[in-house]
Amino acid sequence: MPLVETEAIVLRTHRLGEADKIVSLLTRQLGRLRAVAKGALSRRSRFGSALEPLSYIRLWIYDREGRDLQRLGSAEVVESFFEMQKDYRMQVAAQYLAEVTERFLPDREVNERAFRLLMAVLRALKHFGEVNRPLLFFDYWLLRLGGFLPDLSCCMKCRKSFAGQAGFYVESSESLLCSACRSGGSGTQLSAQALALIDEFRSARIEEWLRMKKAPAGSRELRLFLEQVIEAHLERKLVTRRLLAEEG
Amino acid sequence: MKEYTAPLARLIDELKHLPGIGQKSAQRIAFYLERAPRDDVQRLAEALLDAKDKIRLCSLCNNLTELDPCEYCSDPRRDPEVICVVETPYNVVSVEKSREFRGHYHVLHGALSPLQGIGPEQLKLRNLIERLNGGTVRELIVATSPTVEGEATAVYLAKLVKPLGVKVSRIAMGIPVGSDLEFADEVTMLRALEGRREM
Ligand SMILES: [Zn+2]
Ligand SMILES: [Zn+2]
Repeated sequence: MPLVETEAIVLRTHRLGEADKIVSLLTRQLGRLRAVAKGALSRRSRFGSALEPLSYIRLWIYDREGRDLQRLGSAEVVESFFEMQKDYRMQVAAQYLAEVTERFLPDREVNERAFRLLMAVLRALKHFGEVNRPLLFFDYWLLRLGGFLPDLSCCMKCRKSFAGQAGFYVESSESLLCSACRSGGSGTQLSAQALALIDEFRSARIEEWLRMKKAPAGSRELRLFLEQVIEAHLERKLVTRRLLAEEG
Repeated sequence: MKEYTAPLARLIDELKHLPGIGQKSAQRIAFYLERAPRDDVQRLAEALLDAKDKIRLCSLCNNLTELDPCEYCSDPRRDPEVICVVETPYNVVSVEKSREFRGHYHVLHGALSPLQGIGPEQLKLRNLIERLNGGTVRELIVATSPTVEGEATAVYLAKLVKPLGVKVSRIAMGIPVGSDLEFADEVTMLRALEGRREM
C-alpha cells in the first residue's frame, strides 16, 4: 500500500464513529477523493486545524486504488482559511465553493485548473472580503472548464445577439432568451450591464479584477443566474445556495 | 452477504440509523440482543420509550429535561446573571465537569454550518434574545467548539448580543493539556496567543 504525498483542499468532513472523521478532499495529484482520518476527533489528534473546511493542506495518504475510502496518514496546514470563516457571510461563501466543487468534479480525476481556480477564489475571498465577484468568477470558470457554460452572447431561441440588450431566464433554465422570445413577459431579467461584466473579467486574473474598483452593479445578478445554471446541471439543490440567498 | 431473517434485518437496519453505528456494530448489537434475556431487552425498550416520552426541551435554555424549567434554570444556588452558551446538551455535561461554572446555560442545538444547511434560522436563538432582553443577564460566555463552525457561531452571537449591553466572552482555546507545542499548527497557536493571560 503506497504512501502518497499530495496537496489538497478540504471540502468537508463527517464524523465517523467515536473519534474518526471522513474527509472529502480535492487533491492536486489524485483528484477528488474521500479518506478516513483516524483519531481526528480525539483530544490527542495529530491533525490540529488541518481538517477544518477549506484548509489548504499537505497530506500523506495510503492510496489503495479502487477503494472508495482511502486512509489519511498525516496532514499539515499550508494555508488556513479558518479566520476568514469567522464571518458568517464568508463562511457561507467559502462553503458554497466546497459544496459546488464536491458535486461538480468527478471522483479521482486530476484537474489542475479546477484546483488552481478554487485556490485563487479562496484567496480572493480572504484578501478582499467581498462575496459577489469571487463567487461569480468561480461559477463562470468552473462551468467553462467543464464545458457547461451556456452561450451568454445571444438568445438561445432566435440566436439574435444581445448586443447591449438584457437577457431573460425562467426558473431552473440553463439559458437566456431575448425580450421578443420570452413568453408573455415572464422570467427574470439579466441586465445588459450584468452581461457586459463577462468581458471585464474573462481575460483578467481574479485579483486584478477585484483590485480594479468596487463591486460593479450586476455582479450579483449574473452570479445568481450562473448559480442556477450549476444547480440545473447538477440536477440538485445546493444547501449553501439557499443560505447564500438569505444573506443577500 | 448472507441474508438475515426479516425481524433481524429490520433490527439491524434500525440500529444502523444511530450515530456512529455502522453495519458491523449494528450486527454485533443485534446478535447481542438476540441472545440476551427477554427481561433485559424489555427494560432497554422501555427505557428508550420512557426517555422519548418524558424528555423535552427546557423552555428557557433548551436543555434536555424531564421538568420544565430544567434543574439548572430552577436551581436558586446558581447565578442567573451569567449564561454559558453551548452547542449541544452533552456540552452542558462537559462544562459541568469543571465544577467551576455556577451560572445558567443556553443550548443552541447546533452551530452555523452552511454545508449542513444550518444558518442562524436553524439555531435556537430566539429564546436566548428573550432572556437577554429580560435585563437580568450580565455576561454571556460562549463555549462553542474550537472549529470553523463554533467560531463563526461565537462571532455571530457576539454581534447579535453586544447591542443589548451584555458582556460577551469566549472560552480560551489553544494547546490541549498534555500535548506538545511542537504539534500546534498556525491556527491553534494563534488561538493560544490570543487567549493568553497575565501571570
Ligand atoms: Zn430571441
Ligand atoms: Zn433550563
